[in-house]
Amino acid sequence: MDTLTIFRREVGSYFTSPFAYFIAAGFLLFCGILFARDFQEAATQTTTINPAFIPAVISFLMVFFAPLLTMRLLAEEKREGMMELLLTSPASESSIVMGKFFSAWFYYTILLALTLLYQLVLFAYAPPDIGHTFLAYLGIWLYGGAMIAIGLFFSSLTENQIVAAFLSMITLLILYIGDAAGQVIGNIDIARVIRSLSLQGHFSTSFQVGILRAEDVVFFAGIIVLMLYLSIRTVESHRWR
Amino acid sequence: MIEVKSLSRHYGDFLAVDQLSFKAKQGEILGLLGPNGAGKTTTMRMLTGYLPPSSGTALIDHHDIVRDSVETRKRIGYLPERVPIYPDMTVRGYVLFWAQLRGTKEAKSRTDMVLKQFDLYTRKNTLVRHLSKGLKQRLGLAQALVHDPPVLILDEPTIGIDPQQVIEVRDVVKELGKQHTILFSTHILTEAEEICDRVLIIDHGRIVAQGTPQQLQKEIYSTQYYVQVGGGKTADVRALLQSISGVAEVSAEKDGFLVKSTANEDLRAAISTSIVSAGYTVLEIHQRRSTLEDIFLAAIKAAPGAQAGKKAKR
Ligand SMILES: Nc1ncnc2c1ncn2[C@@H]1O[C@H](COP(=O)(O)OP(=O)(O)OP(=O)(O)O)[C@@H](O)[C@H]1O
Ligand SMILES: [Mg+2]
Repeated sequence: MDTLTIFRREVGSYFTSPFAYFIAAGFLLFCGILFARDFQEAATQTTTINPAFIPAVISFLMVFFAPLLTMRLLAEEKREGMMELLLTSPASESSIVMGKFFSAWFYYTILLALTLLYQLVLFAYAPPDIGHTFLAYLGIWLYGGAMIAIGLFFSSLTENQIVAAFLSMITLLILYIGDAAGQVIGNIDIARVIRSLSLQGHFSTSFQVGILRAEDVVFFAGIIVLMLYLSIRTVESHRWR
Repeated sequence: MIEVKSLSRHYGDFLAVDQLSFKAKQGEILGLLGPNGAGKTTTMRMLTGYLPPSSGTALIDHHDIVRDSVETRKRIGYLPERVPIYPDMTVRGYVLFWAQLRGTKEAKSRTDMVLKQFDLYTRKNTLVRHLSKGLKQRLGLAQALVHDPPVLILDEPTIGIDPQQVIEVRDVVKELGKQHTILFSTHILTEAEEICDRVLIIDHGRIVAQGTPQQLQKEIYSTQYYVQVGGGKTADVRALLQSISGVAEVSAEKDGFLVKSTANEDLRAAISTSIVSAGYTVLEIHQRRSTLEDIFLAAIKAAPGAQAGKKAKR
């Protein structure tokens, strides 16, 4: 119930803040430009159209956009003294954190849904494999949730939004590059470990190519749960300082 | 309604609140009066469940703030020192948010009710960031009151707003005090006297004096008179003033003297009679209220065992 109250307020603030519209515009613009290029190439060079193209683009874009979506969530509350009122209301720390998390994930889901428009263009010219498209979107949806959870955690650590954004960007970048690094490293065991710890490694070889593996779903869900738990713990610790 | 039992709070090695104990009855307005750094905010933050006490505890409506935090939080309305706002919410949205978060029954009609009570209803669709400081303060009060809590904790609600608004806020608090138990902090002496049924004077996290404003007036405040005399040598006039019965201390100030009385009786008549009968003239005589500073000095002297050396710097 409290989670819902926090969620509603937070979603409302996404839709009234100009900054959120900038993020949405930037996000859709990037997707659109890259999609148009890919589409053109596919049309002229008769390569097949990849239905996971946009989700793959988003997996990289979100390294930069997720921190922008999440940086203010908890950091600003602390700085503005709002945390004091929230923590003295009967709402629990977990409902505060979860309300914030779901609002950001919801906003991301809307952005994702808007990119489906591009997919519609494909349907008009060269219908892609629907199963593959669906899996790619499911994957990037979970992937994005995990990235948002990581961003939220960094937002809980500091009062400074810029610091929160910076730290989560670096972390997300490492977790993105980890996939490629795993491919370069000679030792196959080490490479496997690194890849299995990276976020991208659970997307690029499964969802992105149209394969559903339970371990990837569990991995993303696990990251979300872990990050939410750590954020709740950090918020709780404000009480005890 | 509020029962504080040897509440203490350390920040590292620093002792901000030292074994504070006090009670506030239902419907009482209890003032927490003290200089900057006395520990008012720290005490309030412990009572509202934001800061855990280092030791001791308190009961709010018979619920323990440490063991039963959620229950106590439901029963408290809190106005922090600085009213935090969500800048892009409307006035009504903001109050409704707090109403819902605190599980208010019929949150919407309650919200409209408090908005009307604080004259904010006509501005219900204004963005919070566009409110003036005084209006924000009223919004803070509306937020604290929306779930109709039995206990209100208000941290310096009149700071930083213009005199007209100060009077308004004081009137509101007095009115609220008829139904709610209010803990009210301030560093303004006259404010505490005007509003509160009972006043605790705290300094360095300890109570240095307490009582109704009338009691404090009698026991602690020394009445002082500023006297300016025409004619006579300074030393002679001073000796004359000193010899009047009921005078404790005479000191020079500007062009005249500051006369402190021992008891709380009016010495003006006695002073002017003796000046005139000595052949001088009274140019000016007026009673002067004690300042917070004087009271601290007096209170610290009066309270045996209090650390007189550690007076607050202001
Ligand atoms: N988070 C903190 N960390 C360390 N010291 C603190 C902290 N908060 C308050 N203090 C110290 O504790 C003492 C009491 O502070 P508190 O804010 O309770 O005083 P106050 O009576 O509310 O003062 P004011 O009139 O300025 O609001 C001060 O000396 C202050 O410096
Ligand atoms: Mg204070």
